[in-house]
Amino acid sequence: MRTMYRISAVVAAAFCLMTLGEASVKTDNNIVLLPVKNDPTISFRIWFKAGSQNDPAGKEGLAAITASMLTDASTLKHSYEQILDLLYPLAASYDASVSTEMTVVFGRVHKDNLGDYYPLFLDAISSPAFTQEDLDRIKSQTLSYLENTLRYSSDEELGKAVLYNDIFAGTPYGHITEGLVSSVKSITLDDVRAFYRTYYTRDNLVIGLGGGYTASLLTRLKGDLAALPAGKARAIPPPKPAPLKGFRATIVQKDAPATAISMGVPIDILRGTKDWYALAIANSWLGEHRNSSSHLYQVIREERGLNYGDYSYIENFPGGGRRSVPPQNVCRRQQIFEIWIRPVPAEAGHFSMRAALREYKHLVEKGLTKEEFSLTKSFLRKYVLNYAPTTMARLGYALDDRFYGIAGSHLAKFRSMMGTLTLADVNGAIRRHLHYGDMSIAIVAKDAKALRDEIVEDLPSPITYRTKKPEAVLAEDREIAVFPVRIEPENISVVPVTEEFK
Amino acid sequence: MKQLSAGVCLLVALALAAATAMSDAIFPYKVTTAVLPNGLKVIMIPMDSPGLVAYYSVVRTGSRDEVEPGRSGYAHFFEHMMFRGTKKYPGPVYDSIVTSIGASANAYTSDDITAFHLNFAAEDLPKVIEIESDRFQNLSYDLPAFQTESGAIYGEYRKGVTNPFEMLDERIRDIAFDVHTYKHTTIGFERDIKAMPEGFDYSMGFFKKFYRPENVVLLIVGDIKPDAVLKLVKKYYGPWEKGYQPPDVKQEPPQTAARSGEVSYPGKTLPILDMGYKGNAFDPADRDFVAAGVFGELAFGSTSELYKKLYIKEQRVDALQASIPFQRDMPLFEIVARIKKADDVAPVREEIEKTIAQFQSTPVDAGRLAGVKKRSRYEFLMALDTPDRVAGHLAQIVAITGGIEAIDAYYTTLANITPDDVMHAANRFFVPARCTTVILKGVAQ
Repeated sequence: MRTMYRISAVVAAAFCLMTLGEASVKTDNNIVLLPVKNDPTISFRIWFKAGSQNDPAGKEGLAAITASMLTDASTLKHSYEQILDLLYPLAASYDASVSTEMTVVFGRVHKDNLGDYYPLFLDAISSPAFTQEDLDRIKSQTLSYLENTLRYSSDEELGKAVLYNDIFAGTPYGHITEGLVSSVKSITLDDVRAFYRTYYTRDNLVIGLGGGYTASLLTRLKGDLAALPAGKARAIPPPKPAPLKGFRATIVQKDAPATAISMGVPIDILRGTKDWYALAIANSWLGEHRNSSSHLYQVIREERGLNYGDYSYIENFPGGGRRSVPPQNVCRRQQIFEIWIRPVPAEAGHFSMRAALREYKHLVEKGLTKEEFSLTKSFLRKYVLNYAPTTMARLGYALDDRFYGIAGSHLAKFRSMMGTLTLADVNGAIRRHLHYGDMSIAIVAKDAKALRDEIVEDLPSPITYRTKKPEAVLAEDREIAVFPVRIEPENISVVPVTEEFK
Repeated sequence: MKQLSAGVCLLVALALAAATAMSDAIFPYKVTTAVLPNGLKVIMIPMDSPGLVAYYSVVRTGSRDEVEPGRSGYAHFFEHMMFRGTKKYPGPVYDSIVTSIGASANAYTSDDITAFHLNFAAEDLPKVIEIESDRFQNLSYDLPAFQTESGAIYGEYRKGVTNPFEMLDERIRDIAFDVHTYKHTTIGFERDIKAMPEGFDYSMGFFKKFYRPENVVLLIVGDIKPDAVLKLVKKYYGPWEKGYQPPDVKQEPPQTAARSGEVSYPGKTLPILDMGYKGNAFDPADRDFVAAGVFGELAFGSTSELYKKLYIKEQRVDALQASIPFQRDMPLFEIVARIKKADDVAPVREEIEKTIAQFQSTPVDAGRLAGVKKRSRYEFLMALDTPDRVAGHLAQIVAITGGIEAIDAYYTTLANITPDDVMHAANRFFVPARCTTVILKGVAQ
């Protein structure tokens, strides 16, 4: 949980938290409002109901590129250079967040600068220029990300991308938002225009507005966005990932200095239901993100010093390496349970995989103890306050509430549930929604072939330490080293890194 | 605008300049400062943040203070060890207290600072003061705990080492500095990390020398009443004994000739050009220092002519930035470009040098300079909206100056910077003799 470099977007406590439980969010058909009287800034989040699931076959990455063609490119009124010049003194910008199901164009400005900012923000959405020059630049950036950054610069991000692609293969969720090298290369201005026409319509959006805005701004924004063309996008049914039967693994072969592991399995639960909050307690105990309270962290890092951290999730959590609390606007109708083992020494790869699965199995079979339950419940009741410290974050959550159909506020409900859920609720939710035995595993490793053989044969994977360890740890190690995780040869593949995201 | 990824502290200075404005009393909150007889400084900033508090313990020690050969990385290592507990509150007990109050707790280390921070409900402030004061005075760990933690450090190194910017940072420091400890990165040289399990005794000395009240500043921000907070701080930190021993950090002699180097990145990457100029330690009264930050923005930022030419029009680079950091000693002022084609590295470098030459001979446009000042003001107004963001913004200044007075001083200087000042700064710092150029190229092309 310790970070080495200063993170600029540190999240923390904030004003407005007292209002967390209040009904301050006002919603209308396609409007979510979060007025905060004393906030000198205005936050915009315009949600278009499209994401990478809407990418046409062969054009994977189109949703993300289209969004960039709005927010990182020219409009009919201004060139991109002019936009940068105009935004600069305002200390304001706008950007787009594209996930599997959502595209959100967002921005924040000080109210003194609203007059100069608003037309730029609106033009980005309603009057994109769609020039070839901008498309070339954005495609080149995306290709460099896929071919260089994702394949080579962070093995843990690579592992997670491979995991999600495996679990959702053959469904609209089955590719990362950036797409594939070949599909991105094929995207043309006509593709972008077609995507824009289909999804950036007045019938396909939700307005999110927060902070110190005025009624007249709201009226203007509603009117301006109502001028977008009409058109209801075709609904895509939730994905049905093929059921996992037993364990299966993909080992990505590359010259990796350490071994990164991610694993997961689809779950049948979404936030908002009682069982979700119960499961959130179990998950927090097992692997609260970037937190030493995580049990996996204690077992793999604190007791054994094998890596930097070990966490688990019941919701998609992109960019985990650079954020400390969950992101907003990455909602999905189908989630997975996921375990993230940060890079371990190559010789401890097989061992660490076993250690994590063994702890997971223990949780599934035994549930939480009373003490674990009480401590975690107490932790979460206050810790969730850190999830939405700013108006912008709270507005993001308010949109997410709309996505999941949660009446009131998810975070307020989260806190109140921590007061009412019982140990029986939590252990019941574990039984109902988690099970042991089926899991997709993605590993990034240097000697992939040897690791594959070891796993297929379920060979013991003892580890040694350079330093002395307590006997209790060594005794447990002996159990972990032979903990059975059988994967049939046909269910484990070795893939060179250059073959990923092609 | 696309930014280069983390690893090189790009634009840290101007990010902090975010926290600025144009008059000499720009900081919007009332500040109460007290110094205990043992030298511990406490800066308390009440703000409208119902029920919430950010608590930063700023240790004015970072990787800069690792003066002994073979001991790079210890400031950061020690940051980790601070979570291993005391006799009264052993690590797991400390963790369970932090967990039970639902605090968001973390720490970070860089060249000049080790900061420990928690965000929590105001009602838990007495408990936090008690456990934080305890670990700063009574840290206690045994050899196995120390050696196990060294494994986590190696894990942290491993997760970062695949990032080309980390490799580049390691190399340019090593070439640019001869005697100053900025020669090594905060995580340290790999050979030193490998040897950490044998450094138990050294680590204890590190604690005794540096974790002393005269070298620590508490920043407490949020829903607080300074009088009540100070009473608790005196009670719990009062017995902490003085004993700080400043390290003998050797100052880097002036660089007299250009230096250069290359890095082979084992994976695939676009080539990265890093031009680091010996700059100046943070000095809010030095017009050249402040103007250098303005130069970085105007010459290489998102509104610069060069950015528009190379990134938007010709699309020869996919990132271009300058970094003018705020540091305790003389850092590198860096200009970094990621270039699309290997053949284009030399021409892009020429473009950068041409831009520098132009700024050295031609005053900047007054309107653009005013834009930088206006932006700084509004970034400031927008950034200090949560206790954690306030404390986080102040921590680096506190670490390098010991207080927050330098903020107003800095922004007063910034408000008065003229086009001639920018030209002067360009001529003072951005000259070939001060420059170290490192080019990183991937081998798996």
